[in-house]
Amino acid sequence: MAIQNPPPPAWDSPEVSAQHEKMRAKGARGRIGTYVLAIGIALWIILPIFFLFSMAFTTQETVRSYPKNILPLVPFSTDTMQFFLQSDGVAEGLVNSIIVAVITLVLSTVIAAPAGYALSRFFFRGRDLFRLSILAVRAFPIVVLSIPLAVLFLRAGLFDSIFSLALMHTALALPTTILVVASVFASVPYELEEAGQVFGASPLRAFRYIVLPLVAPGIAASSVFTFVLSWNEVFAASVLTLENRTLPALVLTQLSQSSDAYQFAGGFFLMVPSLIFMFFIRKYLFNMWGQVSK
Amino acid sequence: MSEIRIEHVSKSFNGQYAVQDANLTIADGEFLVLLGPSGCGKTTLLRTVAGLGMADSGRISIDGRDVTYLKPGERKISMVFQSYAIFPHMTVRDNIGFGLKMNNVPASEIQANVAEAAELLHIENLLDRRPSDMSGGQRQRVAVARALAMKAEVLLMDEPLSNLDALLRLEMRAELKRLLADVNATTIYVTHDQIEALSMGDRIAVMKDGEIQQVDGPSTVYDHPSNQFVGSFIGNPPMNFLTGTVSAANGSVSVAVGPDQITPAAALAPALKAFDQKPVTIGIRAESMEALSSPVPGAIKVSVVVVEPLGPQNLLTVGLGDQRLKVSTHPSFPVAAGDDLWLQFPSDQIRWIDPKTEQVLS
Amino acid sequence: MTAPSKPQTDVESAPTAVAPPPSWRRKATPYLLIAPALIYLAAFFAYPMVQGLILAVYDDEALLPLIAEPDITSAQTGKIPQGTAITILARQGNLLTEELSSDLLIEVWFQVEVAQADGSAVTGWTPESRVRIREESAEGDPLAGTIRTKLSSTADPLTDIYSEPNERSDVLAQVEPRSAARIVQTAELEVWFQVRAEDGTEGWTPSRFVQVFGDEETGRVDRGTAGEFTTRFIEKMREDRFFGSAWRTTLLLMALILPLQFILAIIMALVIHARLKFSSLFLYVFSVPMGMSDLAVGILFFSIFTGNGLLNSVLDGLGIIDSPQAFLTAESRNWIIFAIVLAEIWRATSIVMVIVVSGLQAIPDETLEAAELFGATYWQKVRHIMLPLLKPSLQVALILRTILAFQVFAVVIALGGGDVVTVLANETFRQYFALRNTNVASAYAVFILLLSIGSAVFYLRAVRTQAEMAAS
Repeated sequence: MAIQNPPPPAWDSPEVSAQHEKMRAKGARGRIGTYVLAIGIALWIILPIFFLFSMAFTTQETVRSYPKNILPLVPFSTDTMQFFLQSDGVAEGLVNSIIVAVITLVLSTVIAAPAGYALSRFFFRGRDLFRLSILAVRAFPIVVLSIPLAVLFLRAGLFDSIFSLALMHTALALPTTILVVASVFASVPYELEEAGQVFGASPLRAFRYIVLPLVAPGIAASSVFTFVLSWNEVFAASVLTLENRTLPALVLTQLSQSSDAYQFAGGFFLMVPSLIFMFFIRKYLFNMWGQVSK
Repeated sequence: MSEIRIEHVSKSFNGQYAVQDANLTIADGEFLVLLGPSGCGKTTLLRTVAGLGMADSGRISIDGRDVTYLKPGERKISMVFQSYAIFPHMTVRDNIGFGLKMNNVPASEIQANVAEAAELLHIENLLDRRPSDMSGGQRQRVAVARALAMKAEVLLMDEPLSNLDALLRLEMRAELKRLLADVNATTIYVTHDQIEALSMGDRIAVMKDGEIQQVDGPSTVYDHPSNQFVGSFIGNPPMNFLTGTVSAANGSVSVAVGPDQITPAAALAPALKAFDQKPVTIGIRAESMEALSSPVPGAIKVSVVVVEPLGPQNLLTVGLGDQRLKVSTHPSFPVAAGDDLWLQFPSDQIRWIDPKTEQVLS
Repeated sequence: MTAPSKPQTDVESAPTAVAPPPSWRRKATPYLLIAPALIYLAAFFAYPMVQGLILAVYDDEALLPLIAEPDITSAQTGKIPQGTAITILARQGNLLTEELSSDLLIEVWFQVEVAQADGSAVTGWTPESRVRIREESAEGDPLAGTIRTKLSSTADPLTDIYSEPNERSDVLAQVEPRSAARIVQTAELEVWFQVRAEDGTEGWTPSRFVQVFGDEETGRVDRGTAGEFTTRFIEKMREDRFFGSAWRTTLLLMALILPLQFILAIIMALVIHARLKFSSLFLYVFSVPMGMSDLAVGILFFSIFTGNGLLNSVLDGLGIIDSPQAFLTAESRNWIIFAIVLAEIWRATSIVMVIVVSGLQAIPDETLEAAELFGATYWQKVRHIMLPLLKPSLQVALILRTILAFQVFAVVIALGGGDVVTVLANETFRQYFALRNTNVASAYAVFILLLSIGSAVFYLRAVRTQAEMAAS
C-alpha cells in the first residue's frame, strides 16, 4: 500500500519563501566571510600607509611626541613634508630621480618595443633562446650587476653620473619591458594588421592606424611600471652615484643622521608614485607577471 | 523516482532576464532536450538546476526535494560540461573517480564504479593516461564516464557534442543515446543543434529570449510548432511563412495568396473567421507541398528561382509574388530555374499563424 | 567573349606589383628588431656580469714585472708580488710618455745652451737642480739661468752636460758654476728604480709602482701591472667578520618570510579570484605595495616599531605597557628580525599574489565548476584542483621571490641600521662603499649569484622530479 504523501506547498507559498530565504542566507554567509577577509587584508595594507601619511602631514612636534595620538592627522600640517622637501639635496635628488626615471622609461621602451614586436609576430631561429635568456636576465640580482658596472663606469669616466645610472636602470627594466610588450602585441591578432593591408594600407600605415591604438595603453602601462621601478631602485643608485644622488639613495645615506620627521616624510614621498600609478596599471599587472609562467 | 520540477524560475543578469518564469517538469528517466539559439537562456536554466548559478526566484525540486538554493554538490546530480572540464593534472582514473572520492565513497566501490564507467565508454585502456595527450573525442568519453560513474539519478549535459568535429559528433550522438537509454537517468540535455534535439530527446523544450516556447515530443515540435519561432527554428529548411488575406463570406472561409485561393481545413475555419479581411501567416514545411508542372484547381502558381540538388531530394526556391518559399521535390521531378510550377497545399499540413502574436491558431 | 586588350599591360606590370620582398630581408627583419635589445643587454648586462665574475677571482695588480735595464724594451728579469719589500739600488729619470698620477716621482731636466770657459757654447741636458732660473716667460716657463755652485766640498765643482736627458748618456761637457745658460726646452722624467726584492730578484721598475719609505732606500711594491687568478678575495670575504652573520641572517629571513608570504599570497589571490564587488578596488589595494621601494617600506615599518612609533603608542593607549619599548636597538635583535619579516611580507607578497591570480585566471571556470558539481567543498577544490594547477605559477613565484630575498637591503638598513642585523646585499654594499674593496664586494656579489642560481635549479629540479614521479 502506497502512502499518499501530502502535496508539497505551492512554489510561492510563504513557507517555501521562508525556507529559500534561509538557504540563501547560508550561501551569503560564506560570501560575507570573504568580504571580511578582503577588508582585513586591505586594512593590513592601508593602515601602515595611512599612519605614515599622517606623520608626513603633521607638525614636527607631533612626529616627536609620545605617545602619539591614535587619531591621525591631528593636527594637519604640511610642516613635516615641507621640512623634508626643503632639506639639503632633496630638491636635487628629486630632479635627478625624475631625470633618471624618464630616461630609463624612454630608452627601455624604444629598445624593447621592436624586440617585443619581433617576439610576438615572427617565428625565427633562436626565438625561444632569446625569450628564455630574457627570462633569465630578469631574474638576475641587481646587487650582482651593480658592482661591476660601477667599476666599468669608473674606468670609462662615467661614474657618479645620473646618465650612467639611467643606463643601468634600463638594463634592469629591459627584459620585463620586452616581455610585456610582446604579450601586449600578442593580444592584438595579426589578422587585424593583415586586414588593414588587404584594404590597402601599407604595412607601416596598418601598424600606425590599427595596431598602435590597440597596444598603446598596454605599452603605456609598462612604461609607467618602468618609471616606478627606476624611482624605487636604491642599491644601484647608491653604488653608482656619490654627489648626484637620486632621492632614494639620498634618503638611504641620510637615514642614520636624520630626524624622524625627515624619514617619515621622505618615506611617504617615495611611496606616492606607486599609490598613483598602480591605480592605472593594475589591470596590466597580470600582463606583466602572468605570462612568466607560460 | 527522480522527477525534476522547475517552477516559475527566473534569473536575470544586470536587469536583463536570462530566464523568465520557466516551468518544466521532467519525468523520471526522461530525456529532455533544452533547445534554442545561443543566448536564449537554455544554459542559464540548466545551471540553475545544477546549482552553478542560483535562480532569482521560483523553485526547483528534484525527487520532491527543494534544491533551489542548495550547493551543486548537495543536489545528487551529475553533469557533462561543454568544454568537458577534465582535470588536466589527474589521470583518467582519478578524473572518473573524483566525484565519488569527494563524496567519501569507499575506495573499493570507487574502483568498481570507475571500471564500469570506463567499460561503458570503451576507455579502459586510457585509465592511466593524462588528459593532456588525449584527443577531443577521448576527453569527451572521459567526461561522460566521469558523469556516469556518479550513478546520479539526474544527469545534466551542456552542449556535450559541440566541441567535436562533425563526423565524431554523429558517432557520439548515437552512442550517447544508447548509453543514456541504458542508465535510465533523468536527463536534461542542452543544445543549439535542432537535429541533435530531434534525434535524441524524448521531449524538446524550445527556448527563446529566456522563455520556454513549447515543450513536446520531437514530432509534435516539428509538425505542430506552437508559434512561428519554433517553426522557423526547427527543421532544415525551416518552415515557410507566407502572408495571405482571409475572406469569410456566407459560412465559407478562404485565404487569398496572391491571385490564388487556399481553403483551410474545416476545423480551423471558425478561428480564421476572426481575421476576415485581415492578413494571416501561413506556415508550411518544404516537404509538405506537392509540386506539379501543370495547373490544377486549388494549386498556387509559382516560378522557380533556384534549384539546389541535395541528393535525396531537390530543394527549390520559388517566388510567389515577392514572397519566397522553399519546396523540396523528388530528384526525378523535372524542373529548372525560370520554370513555372503549381503547388498544392494539403490543408492538414498548413499552420495558420496570427501575425500579431505569432501564435499558431488552433 | 574576347578579352579586351587592356589586360596586356596589366600582365607586364604584374610581376613588379606582386614581387615579394627579397627573402633575406624577410628573414632578417626579426633579427634587426631584436638587435638593439641584444646589443644593449650584451653591453650593459652580459659584459659587466663577466667583469664582475673576473673581479672576484682575478687580481689585475698582483705582480710587478722587473726589467733588466731602465728601458721599457729591455728584457724582464722576474715578477715580484704586490707588497713585497724592496731595497732601492739605483735611480734614474726616464722620459715620461704619458700623464700618470699616484706615487709617480718626477725629475725635470732642462736642455741648455751654456757658455764654456773657453768661450764656446755647448748645448745639452742637465737636471733642473743644476740650474738657477733667472728669467721666466709670462706663462712662467723658464727661459734662462745660471749653473749652480755645488755646495759639497768633496764633489767635483763642475756640472755635467749630457747628450740626452739621462745620466747614462754621454757627457758632452763639464761647465763652471755660474755659467750663463739659455734654457732651450724642458723635459719631465719619471724616476725609475733599480730594486732588489726579498727573494733576490733584481731589476728596474718605474717609480709609480713603488711606495718609497722615508729613508729613500727601502720601500714596497704598491701595485703590479700583471694579473693573476687568486682566491684571496674569496678568502677575505669568508674571513670577514660580518660574512657568517650575513648569510645566516639572509637564509633565516628567507625561511621565515617565504612560507608566510606564500600562504598570504594564495589567500589574497583566492579573495581576488572570488570576484567580489569592488574586486578591482581590492586588487588595487592589494597590489600597491608592489610598486614601493624596500627603502620606503623599511621606513614605514620603522615608523611603527621605533621608540615613539605607532606600536608603542597603541600599546600604551591600551594600557599594556607603561613606557615605550625599544624594539629596534642592538639589544633587541629578534625584534628587528621580526620587523624585517613583517615589512617584507607586507611589501613583496603582492607580486606573488599577482602571479598566483594570473595562474588562477588560466584555470577554466568549468573546471572549477565541475569540481563543485562533483561534490568538492571549497577547501577540497583548493586542495585538489587549484593548488595542483597552480604549481607552475607557484614555482615561478618561488624562484623569483627567493632571488629577490637574497637582495634584501634597504629594509634591513632602515630597520636595523645594518650592523646588528646584516644581510649579504648589505655586506656587498659595505665592502664597496665604506671599505672601498671592489674585489671583495664582487666576491659577495658572486656568492649571491651562485646562491640564486643554485636555488633556481633546486626548485626546477624538485618540481620536475615530482612530475616525473607522478608520470611513472
